[in-house]
Amino acid sequence: MLNTILFVLILGPFIAGALCFIIRSGHVRSFIVLAMGCLIATASIILFIKGPFSHTPPPLLGIPTHFLVLWGDDLLLFVMLYFAFKHGHLFTKILIIFQIVCLDYFELFMVDHTENFPLFFADNLSLIMVLIISIVGSLICVFAIPYMNKHEEHQGLKKSRQPKFFAFLVVIIGAMNGLVLSNNIIFMYMFFEITTLGSFMLISHDQNETAINNAVRALWMNCVAGAAFIIAMIWAYVIQGTVDAQKLIQAGHMGGIMLTPLALLCFAAMVKAAQIPFQSWLLGAMVAPTPTSALLHSSTMVKAGVYIALRFAPGYAGTFLSQSLAVSGAFAFLATSAMAIRESNGKKVLAYSTIGNLGLIFACAGINTPEAITAGILLIIFHAFSKALLFLCVGDIEQHIGSRDIEVMRGLYARMPRTTLIAVLGIVTMMLPPFGVLLSKWMAIEAASKHLFVILPLAVGSAMMVVYWARWAGILLSAPHGLKVEPEKQGLLTRFPLLVLVWGAVVLSLCAPLVYSKLVVPILSAPSFSIRAGIFENPTGTFLFYPVMLILALGFIYAVYAAKKARKARLSGPYLCGAQTTDPESFEGPMKKPVAVLSGAIYFESIFGNQKLTVWVNIFGGMLLALLVGGSL
Amino acid sequence: MDILKKLTRKSRIKSPWLLHFDCGSCNGCDIEVLACLTPVYDIERFGIINVGNPKHADLLLVTGTVNHRNKKVLVNLAEQMPEPKIVVALGSCGLSGGVFREAYNVIGGVDKIIPVDVYVPGCPPKPEAIIDGVVTGLEKFSKKKDG
Amino acid sequence: MIKGIIMVFIGVFVAPLLGGLIAGVDRRLTAWFQSRYGPPVWQPFFDVIKLFGKERMVVNRWLVFCAHVYITAAMLSVVLFFLQSDLLLILFVQAVGAIFLVIGALSTTSPYSQLGANRELIQILTYEPLIILAFVGIYLVTGSFRISEILVQTKPLLVSLPLLYIALCYALTIKLRKSPFDFSTSHHAHQELVKGFLTEYSGPYLALVEIGHWYEVVLILGLCSLFWATSWIGIIALVGVTYFCEILIDNVTARLTWRWMLGYVWPMGLAMGFVNLIWLHGR
Repeated sequence: MLNTILFVLILGPFIAGALCFIIRSGHVRSFIVLAMGCLIATASIILFIKGPFSHTPPPLLGIPTHFLVLWGDDLLLFVMLYFAFKHGHLFTKILIIFQIVCLDYFELFMVDHTENFPLFFADNLSLIMVLIISIVGSLICVFAIPYMNKHEEHQGLKKSRQPKFFAFLVVIIGAMNGLVLSNNIIFMYMFFEITTLGSFMLISHDQNETAINNAVRALWMNCVAGAAFIIAMIWAYVIQGTVDAQKLIQAGHMGGIMLTPLALLCFAAMVKAAQIPFQSWLLGAMVAPTPTSALLHSSTMVKAGVYIALRFAPGYAGTFLSQSLAVSGAFAFLATSAMAIRESNGKKVLAYSTIGNLGLIFACAGINTPEAITAGILLIIFHAFSKALLFLCVGDIEQHIGSRDIEVMRGLYARMPRTTLIAVLGIVTMMLPPFGVLLSKWMAIEAASKHLFVILPLAVGSAMMVVYWARWAGILLSAPHGLKVEPEKQGLLTRFPLLVLVWGAVVLSLCAPLVYSKLVVPILSAPSFSIRAGIFENPTGTFLFYPVMLILALGFIYAVYAAKKARKARLSGPYLCGAQTTDPESFEGPMKKPVAVLSGAIYFESIFGNQKLTVWVNIFGGMLLALLVGGSL
Repeated sequence: MDILKKLTRKSRIKSPWLLHFDCGSCNGCDIEVLACLTPVYDIERFGIINVGNPKHADLLLVTGTVNHRNKKVLVNLAEQMPEPKIVVALGSCGLSGGVFREAYNVIGGVDKIIPVDVYVPGCPPKPEAIIDGVVTGLEKFSKKKDG
Repeated sequence: MIKGIIMVFIGVFVAPLLGGLIAGVDRRLTAWFQSRYGPPVWQPFFDVIKLFGKERMVVNRWLVFCAHVYITAAMLSVVLFFLQSDLLLILFVQAVGAIFLVIGALSTTSPYSQLGANRELIQILTYEPLIILAFVGIYLVTGSFRISEILVQTKPLLVSLPLLYIALCYALTIKLRKSPFDFSTSHHAHQELVKGFLTEYSGPYLALVEIGHWYEVVLILGLCSLFWATSWIGIIALVGVTYFCEILIDNVTARLTWRWMLGYVWPMGLAMGFVNLIWLHGR
């Protein structure tokens, strides 16, 4: 049973990807993607119900698994090397060749393959990750089916590039499942590299100059992460003589000698999660079709980074590494919030907010108390749903209005009420109580309160975050008055993922106490909160979760009722000094000509707007990373 | 319910927020209106606040003659005030067009465009007269039907 | 349990009455500073009752929705305060209201309302970090974010948190919409950029916003009172002096730009707060 589920979850997407690539019919491809989505979503739920396990599957087709991994790794690295040569990027070539040499030497001459330990290990953290990856990832793939058809219509391609696109889209899901389930760090490394290649292929999908440049940037940055990972792996093996992740974590930092590999792992994780100064690859990934960005940002890829940091968190608890991880995570949170506040490009706002939230998770991993770890894990869960939802909404909006600029989305409620309401709800779940993201932020702030250099960036950053979300939500709703709003048409395959995600985001938040006690508590060394009647409580603070939710919900329902009742109220145009024409959205200008009313949001160009800020942020972020690695040497 | 209605009526009299619209006056009346706000006359002691927004206003104070260009603005402002509302015309020009009533572009007094409740004569009216006009207007609130 | 119900009752019914009275006193004091007579102290109640009696007029129905959410959140935050709950939770619940008010203002196409809403967002941006830092300071002294833990302290918090109290006062001046930080909407300048983000709220909906503001005033003064919660005299003296200073500052300062506010309050407030936190941390 377990073997089958693991096979479906990890290799299933690879097989589906291969089928997508080989069979060129659009209908068959849609069917394969849908079927795979249902299959892995179901499998992930079954796996979750079965609970934590450690397991070694029998060799596939009689070949020892480590051979498969070695071949797979080599094949993967050579494919990446081919692309490095194709695009003539010297640094990537060096990094990949370095990885090939190290890996082959390590695998062939150093590792003792007879060592006996479970190849797969899953505690609740892995199971949560599998659930998120499989469910949110599948929904994004489903959304991609109609999206990509439209996307290619816009481009007017002669030959569809969809087979390759879907192949890599689903392969990334499989690789992520593999990454979070494997206990052998060589496996982890392989899956880590597959996501690198997959993201490279997906970002370069449109094949124009920006796409390729950004893809190459993503490739070399992730290769830096890969190289750091491989050094960490070999270093750890030299010290401990094992590739068993659990043993490595349990051994801890061993009085400091294990710190360097752990620091390198954290470094790899932070690059993967696009932390400052490596944020540019994730921002560049925005040129790709929206499902790519949604997949990379919400459930996979960047979450691989935070997963590794949280997974190895017990290993570096109470060290300098832990503290500097917390500080650099918090700094990333602050810096990206400041950058997001000046952006009017919707997708970039989402990207910065992703990096910021990942920074917050790193900060939680660095603070390394049960409260902080709880906050980090909850943030992974809630953030995945809300962020995937927002990305898909922006993608859908972009296909309708031809722009991703927030100012162009002004008054979108009048044109696309359904999508707009879903997007606004998504935004609300990202920033306001009693929704999950804010609950986790509350935990994070309370956990960070003893760390001055963490709390200051968190306090300032979260205020900025509120500003850019609220601004966006308001602008989406700023519709001319008195307009009859007709719900827009949405295809089934577009609406289904959106609805599932928005309900997921809301319902999961509703069940936050349950999510906490059933999912998170078993991972923690000691439960961080006691829950009574939906009230989170520990010596530091109290979050009256259900009471607050109940009252706000009542207020919300009454507000909806009042708004409905206001249908009878007299409509009046906005105040325009009495100079409005018969169209209330314009006023009478010179020569009795109507002038349209325009207003724009403030984007703080004078404070956060210059490029110098990015440079300084990158320098400072780089220094913090250097501190993180250097401090543990 | 009766007591609530009474209270609302009383509050209306106690808290008139006024919107002052200069409909093309020579600024003589406007200066007198502003004089009402100064510490000497201090109309805030009656709860009167000079607001800039018809949506918050109860009392529209119009100075100056109405002409073809600004009649629309006057109508718009009056329309954007929620009921119940009072219109007070100030000064000779607001009442009838004053010395400008013969001009080719002038329509005449405020009441040619919107219904006026109180007329305050004078060129310009004294602040005492303006306050008196406003207070007279307040009594009309009790006769207006509820909004 | 009975105590809890009484506290909820105070939070829901007494707090707005108190807030309205404070607003009346504020207007009276301001008139006195300006050598005027001023309206009666219960003037705010007349204003609100009158507004409730006015015709309902809307630009769009989002405004109605947002005004109701605002007052719910404001009420809830005050109730949580009286129930001696978690300070951060109170801040977050209060933020729900503040943000929905802004979203409502942004939902109209009126340029005044839009501009006011953007400025209000900047005000939120300015005060929120300071309030969080003040709460962190309280945590470092008492070891908890719960108000109930503050009330069992034997030494006034003001002794350990003087700089943070000043930083908090900056934030509260913004939150109370007092000059020089009242440019999203102002109590006095009723015509400056036409009432800012409240431009399109009218009639009963404006009344709701006004009552919501009373709740917030009570919450803010309540937060101030925590800094000398060891005795009633301390509470009254501290809150009285603070509020008197707020009104005085309100009357003697001119409104400047948001750039000035951000560039002045953040460095001053954050620096003072941080220095205070460092010395607490060092103990």
